[in-house]
Amino acid sequence: MVLVVNDAADDSLHESPEHPERPGRVQAARAALTTLDLGSDLVVVPARVATRAELSRVHAVGYLDELGAYCYGGGGDLDQDTYATYDSWSIATLAAGAGLAVVTELQRRGDGVGFVAVRPPGHHALRDRAMGFCLLNNIAVSAAALVAQGERVVIVDWDVHHGNGTQQIFWDEPNVLYISLHQWPLFPGSGSPVEIGGPGALGSVLNVPLPAGATGDVLRRALEDIVAPVVDAFGPTWVLVSAGYDAHYLDPMADLCLSDGDFADLASSVARYVATPGRLAFFLEGGYHLDALRDSVGATMAAVLGAPHAGEPSTNGGPGASHLVSVAAQRRAAFESWTRVAGEEAR
Amino acid sequence: MMNLNSIVVGYDGSVESENAVRWAVRLAHGVDATVTVLHAAGILERLDTPFRRSATPEAVERIVAEERLDAARCHWVVDDGDACSALLRSAAPPIGAQLLVVGSRGHGKRPGMLIGSVSLEVVQHAAVPVVVIPGFEAPV
Ligand SMILES: [Zn+2]
Repeated sequence: MVLVVNDAADDSLHESPEHPERPGRVQAARAALTTLDLGSDLVVVPARVATRAELSRVHAVGYLDELGAYCYGGGGDLDQDTYATYDSWSIATLAAGAGLAVVTELQRRGDGVGFVAVRPPGHHALRDRAMGFCLLNNIAVSAAALVAQGERVVIVDWDVHHGNGTQQIFWDEPNVLYISLHQWPLFPGSGSPVEIGGPGALGSVLNVPLPAGATGDVLRRALEDIVAPVVDAFGPTWVLVSAGYDAHYLDPMADLCLSDGDFADLASSVARYVATPGRLAFFLEGGYHLDALRDSVGATMAAVLGAPHAGEPSTNGGPGASHLVSVAAQRRAAFESWTRVAGEEAR
Repeated sequence: MMNLNSIVVGYDGSVESENAVRWAVRLAHGVDATVTVLHAAGILERLDTPFRRSATPEAVERIVAEERLDAARCHWVVDDGDACSALLRSAAPPIGAQLLVVGSRGHGKRPGMLIGSVSLEVVQHAAVPVVVIPGFEAPV
């Protein structure tokens, strides 16, 4: 069973001429889900607006007030990439609440897989700043709600860009494990393997930067060799995925070379992180080539639901395997230097 | 007085950032330092590239010539990310900025708005001194 959120917002809201973060993206994602022919297994969950209390778990209240006022004042550019319009506050709070609605419905049913098909995306949104097309950090709002209920959440972020906002928000949170596979160097510039989490949550951040041209085999190996042992040691009770599709070879934003078949492989892997049903939800992040986005969302959900999907095969042969060795080494060195600092402070 | 060898100035193509570059270049000239003109490349610059990565923008070259700074002491660097994080990162090697120079507003559209204010955030988080050049005033 798949639970999809209908963001209940007019698709023409939050739009800027020529901007690639556009309403057609969420329509493409929803189209992918309808073409899977799931019949009554496709459940549409209405979105709701995230409350101030729910948002303020991950955002500074001063930022929330200012962003709301900025939008209702007519909006404008927040930085060189990120825009807000009069409608943006209402669509962004619905996008953040949509994840909460899906999580609640999964808990009620004790079964199913969620796909939160909303925009604007969220993973670059910092505690107190909009960035990289993102206003509110949708996945973080849901993860924080789960943590408040005593859950341990792994967030897997396979968007081609590092999710700097999510990493910052949970930097010192021991009940959230943030894992990012991303192209580097690339916007936003963060996402080094030596970023391993704050002193209260060392090891709760795992970054796997990948070179331009990397193909699916490298990401599969990263999940097996580097990510799986860290997830096992963490022991998550929920899996949330920052499912961006801009690592697709057709996407104009970056240079990773994944096919829709690779996204199916990634989805199958992360779905195994928690055995209990009803504890897996995907959140749409990037993905700017509409056909690639539609096919990749379809491949993702077909893979986790066991539904048939005629897509592209998995890819192999790109660069990056040697990077994985250095990622593991840099992460180990970062741990050692933290331990050394802690030892020196104790003396 | 400490040695000041490495000055970094943020540049986004705005008149304000040109003023900041001019101030930084004059200081570099005066104290015999190098100046790194740093441009933060946002997510959209992949699609249309106003700043070619390898080439110093003409406006910067002109300022360096006008202020008679040895061109070899001015470096043009493009870093991926938002302006604030890129400036903060520049304090670490390899650039190792000892002083950051920023225009007061940059891309923040509205005076007084906290969101989008690079200078405010850099001042809050920088580990090295920061000079904020006020907007639309003649460079000092
Ligand atoms: Zn992205």
